[in-house]
Amino acid sequence: MPRVTLETLPDYARYLIAAAEDAALFPVTRKVRLPALELTVHLEPGALAEALGHAFVEAGDDQPGLPACRIFVGHPGIGGMPEPARWGDAHFTEHGFAQRLAGAGLRGHYFHDLDFWQVYDPQRRIGAQLMRAADAFPPWETGSPLRAFLHWEYGARGMRLAHAGTLGADGSGVLLAGAGGAGKSGTVVAGLLNGLDSVGDDYVLVDLSSSVIARPLFSVLKQDPKGFARLGLKDRLGSDMPLNWQGKHAFHIGDIASRPIPGTLDIVALMVPHIGAGGTSSIMPMSRRDAMIALAPSGIAQMPGERESGFRFFSDLTRLLPCYRLSLGTDPGEIAGTIADFLARGAS
Amino acid sequence: MPQANVYAVASKDIVFESFDGEAVVLDLASGKYFGFSDSGSRVWQALCSGVGAQALAGSIAGAAATGATGLDAFIAQLVELGLLVPSDGTAQPLPDELAAELAAANEPLNVSVHDDLADLIIVDPIHEVEEPLGWPAVKQAS
Repeated sequence: MPRVTLETLPDYARYLIAAAEDAALFPVTRKVRLPALELTVHLEPGALAEALGHAFVEAGDDQPGLPACRIFVGHPGIGGMPEPARWGDAHFTEHGFAQRLAGAGLRGHYFHDLDFWQVYDPQRRIGAQLMRAADAFPPWETGSPLRAFLHWEYGARGMRLAHAGTLGADGSGVLLAGAGGAGKSGTVVAGLLNGLDSVGDDYVLVDLSSSVIARPLFSVLKQDPKGFARLGLKDRLGSDMPLNWQGKHAFHIGDIASRPIPGTLDIVALMVPHIGAGGTSSIMPMSRRDAMIALAPSGIAQMPGERESGFRFFSDLTRLLPCYRLSLGTDPGEIAGTIADFLARGAS
Repeated sequence: MPQANVYAVASKDIVFESFDGEAVVLDLASGKYFGFSDSGSRVWQALCSGVGAQALAGSIAGAAATGATGLDAFIAQLVELGLLVPSDGTAQPLPDELAAELAAANEPLNVSVHDDLADLIIVDPIHEVEEPLGWPAVKQAS
């Protein structure tokens, strides 16, 4: 099995992309229309192909002349695709790996447990994902497939995938930021169940070019069994669906939303939820410093590469928005009402 | 006494931004974040600009007035965290505006470390590296 070092990394990344382009046949081609991007994926039937069919929120047809990117998802069972290499240096750091590739105009990620490679050429908008076998991918890939490639492509155009939830009404919305367990996903579900809109939980596309705009990419929502029951989802969606790799129920925005997913939300505030001590919810101002520390780490650490640009992006975002601490009550309807009232007042 | 009078940002991997006068620093290599109090932010800003520690010690007042010992300890902490290194550069004077902001600060000198990666790995183990292990290692939920 070949070994790749920091020295040979850019050459290996280019080799993988060339091998994928030259491979004999990828049986399946999936096209997905995303905000400002037409994504074409060449792969074979299986869980990843199925995920591409249901994990995304497809954008409307009103985007003429979209930039197109192509991703090849392969393994040695596809003619012409090589065995994935192993990392051969004594040391590995995500940052050093990303820096080395960025210096060559490339992006990439390596998950050593599976020798799982993702490499991308943002100039040509072509990427390759190489696995040991058709099912040798990390378990989170089906929830938000190819997110690293989207992160690199949108990042090259000044946009960013934010690890944040969203809720909105009448086109205006809030970003919900914070680490796992803070109540972010439960808040998104509570809002959707009570008439608010969302353009996503976990990862949304954020654009700062005019104002702060959030757009949907992935439709998946997740709740652990306790939250699933507390929010009444057991009765609504049933509980016979298998739990995902995190032990959570995975479902989709469309399963619980009262309206179609909006194409955009004009973000008017950044909120950091936490489980409150009292029975009712409240929204109190918080410092931008603390909001930035709640927002940025997960958005940067969960996405390979682009750390400094992410830090600058989230800094700009935080400075553009008023920031609040959202203390969560216990009743989902009351939580949603608190946010709806906040939005109706004009985020003041 | 601090080990040096003048300091510099430790490396190009140390990046920082200011939010309403409060600094947030990110170590790109480790992914660690550092949040500074208002007085700590001004001291950080001054030290990064080459202001000498001795000049700072003579100017600190208000909430940050912990004396030279407190300032020395704060600087030593920033060096230990890998954010600053001693420099042989020429000490710059403390700008009047920064001195006024330091005097008006409400909080004592403080820097808090935010290493949320362990939490993130629980959510989604796109791994971070434990340098001593030499390979990317998925952190285990505690």
